[in-house]
Amino acid sequence: MEIQPILKSLRRQKTAALLIAFEIALACAIICNTLFVISERMDRMHIDSGVAESELVRIRSSTLDDAAERSVRTAEDLAALQTVAGVVEVAAVQQVPFGNSSWNSGLSVERGAPPVTGATNYFDSGNLVSTLGLRLTAGRDFRPDEYIEFDALFRADVEVVGSAIITQALADKLWPDEPALGKFFYTDQDPIRVIGIVDTLIRPSFRAVADAPMSVIYPVRNTPGLQYLMRVRPPADLDAVLKQAETALREVHSGRLISRAETFESMREHFFRGDRVMAMLLSGVIVALLVVTALGIVGLASFWVQGRRRQIGIRRALGATRGSILRYFQLENFLIVTAGVVTGMFAAYGVNAWLMQHYELSRLPMYYLPIGAIGLWVLGQLSVLSPALRAMRVPPALATKA
Amino acid sequence: MFKMTHLSKAFRTEIVETFALRDFSIDVKEGEFVAVTGPSGSGKTTFLNIAGLLETPTGGRYELDGQDVSHLSDRARSRIRNEKIGFIFQAFNLIPDLNVFDNVDVPLRYRGLKASERKLRITDALERVGLSARMKHYPAELSGGQQQRVAIARALAGRPRLLLADEPTGNLDTQMARAVMELIEDVHRDGATIVMVTHDPELAARTQRNVHIVDGQVVDIDAAEPRFTAVAGG
Ligand SMILES: Nc1ncnc2c1ncn2[C@@H]1O[C@H](COP(=O)(O)OP(=O)(O)OP(=O)(O)O)[C@@H](O)[C@H]1O
Ligand SMILES: [Mg+2]
Repeated sequence: MEIQPILKSLRRQKTAALLIAFEIALACAIICNTLFVISERMDRMHIDSGVAESELVRIRSSTLDDAAERSVRTAEDLAALQTVAGVVEVAAVQQVPFGNSSWNSGLSVERGAPPVTGATNYFDSGNLVSTLGLRLTAGRDFRPDEYIEFDALFRADVEVVGSAIITQALADKLWPDEPALGKFFYTDQDPIRVIGIVDTLIRPSFRAVADAPMSVIYPVRNTPGLQYLMRVRPPADLDAVLKQAETALREVHSGRLISRAETFESMREHFFRGDRVMAMLLSGVIVALLVVTALGIVGLASFWVQGRRRQIGIRRALGATRGSILRYFQLENFLIVTAGVVTGMFAAYGVNAWLMQHYELSRLPMYYLPIGAIGLWVLGQLSVLSPALRAMRVPPALATKA
Repeated sequence: MFKMTHLSKAFRTEIVETFALRDFSIDVKEGEFVAVTGPSGSGKTTFLNIAGLLETPTGGRYELDGQDVSHLSDRARSRIRNEKIGFIFQAFNLIPDLNVFDNVDVPLRYRGLKASERKLRITDALERVGLSARMKHYPAELSGGQQQRVAIARALAGRPRLLLADEPTGNLDTQMARAVMELIEDVHRDGATIVMVTHDPELAARTQRNVHIVDGQVVDIDAAEPRFTAVAGG
């Protein structure tokens, strides 16, 4: 069976054919973009935080205002937490991945130059890299003599932060063509040397996946708002560890408020709740669209088969095999879907451009179009199958019925 | 050309079984022009349907060109219909969505002929029925007589050896009926075997052989042999 006579005959049924093609174009445009949004959400949800999530818990306690007292208390707390059964390492830091609150600054590679990029600042009170389970790919961890007190940063006479560990992504961003190790960057007047590179460590909160791993770790102790991290030896009951940690902290000082006693797994789960709900909603939209489109195709094809029963009988009488009747309707559907898909591809880019303008969506990658097209072709063929089979079974003797 | 022996055709519904044909035997020779007459419901169309492989008999034997065709596959039957048999129907049965040219083209496409060959045959056939000027017209834009001539052209273009016509003039006035009949006689002169169901005794009289069907059985009026032989021996 050839395309030409089908097209000719379709021209006589323009309105219905165009309507279905339009429905398919719309479905194509919406499904391509929706799939893309879902996949971006999925990418977010599956991001590598860089930390050993399954072995980590965090706990937060009310901190003291006085810097000196704070530093004493922190040392006592860490020592107490270290004694909890199953705990391998402990550390104190002012922010954590999936923790939402974050300290940020702009980084430049020359003094006084405008920042190349923003990055988040993790302040390591000691042993942070190893407790988080970060993977150092170049350089080294901080030496004990490199640490300075947070408080000292504000005293005019004293030290400045001289060294930092950065993520590979940040290194690539700051120095795209050169190795970053040993280079200097600036957040203000004083140069900070890159002494180590970790493969990744995400910001406490982020939107775009590409923007997530822009992190710097500074050797700065005893910032305000410290929270404690405990790395346990698997397998361990993390909830039990958290309970014991709480008890241990209360033994150090009984009157304190303890909050945010959480595993990283539950933090991740909580952090991505919105993405998960959105992905599910959008999947529902896709399914609904597919069902509506399929029903439209089934409806129109059934209507056409019913209306063309006599014509089918005539074709059979004139030598059409059952197979060629089946193929006629399949090919007809394929042509309509193709018209819809081609239009839909342009519409998909239109919708995408609109979404890019009004929401934070990236450009729809090309490969979504063939995926959408193939999906709709398959949907079309499946939908038309039952009406086409009915057409195939029209008896040739129908031609002679008056 | 074809031969039916003790053929029967029953239509079964849930309650009744009607025999459209019973113990039906006939032998139609190559090149014959047979007119089939009979009262309404006697089985004329059923006979043509089986002869044209549009339906299968319930019992008995049907041979076309010496080949038993009652048990062929759909594909084989379709092919025989397409290559050996031409149909003309009382209701013209053109495809309303296709213009005259494309209507005549339908069986040729199923045969898989080359475009150039098809075009040649279509223009020839339309010329023969005097409708060359109407190639781009749709069936709804033609008179009944013109539509039937298109249908004849469609049958002619396939160059069938057997032309089956079911009351081809039933929907036409006398003048158009005569024109159509002349065309069919033309086709017969070119060597085709023709079986034509008609209610018109005048038309029937113009053919070589009249077969009368009553109640699903054949009464072969003009057969050369005595009727007894025709039934028993085929
Ligand atoms: N598909 C069918 N189902 C049930 N009965 C049928 C079917 N086709 C034909 N019949 C019956 O078979 C008998 C013969 O029908 P057929 O159409 O062959 O008659 P006919 O001689 O062509 O009549 P007419 O001159 O009215 O066209 C009739 O009784 C008819 O009701
Ligand atoms: Mg009839």
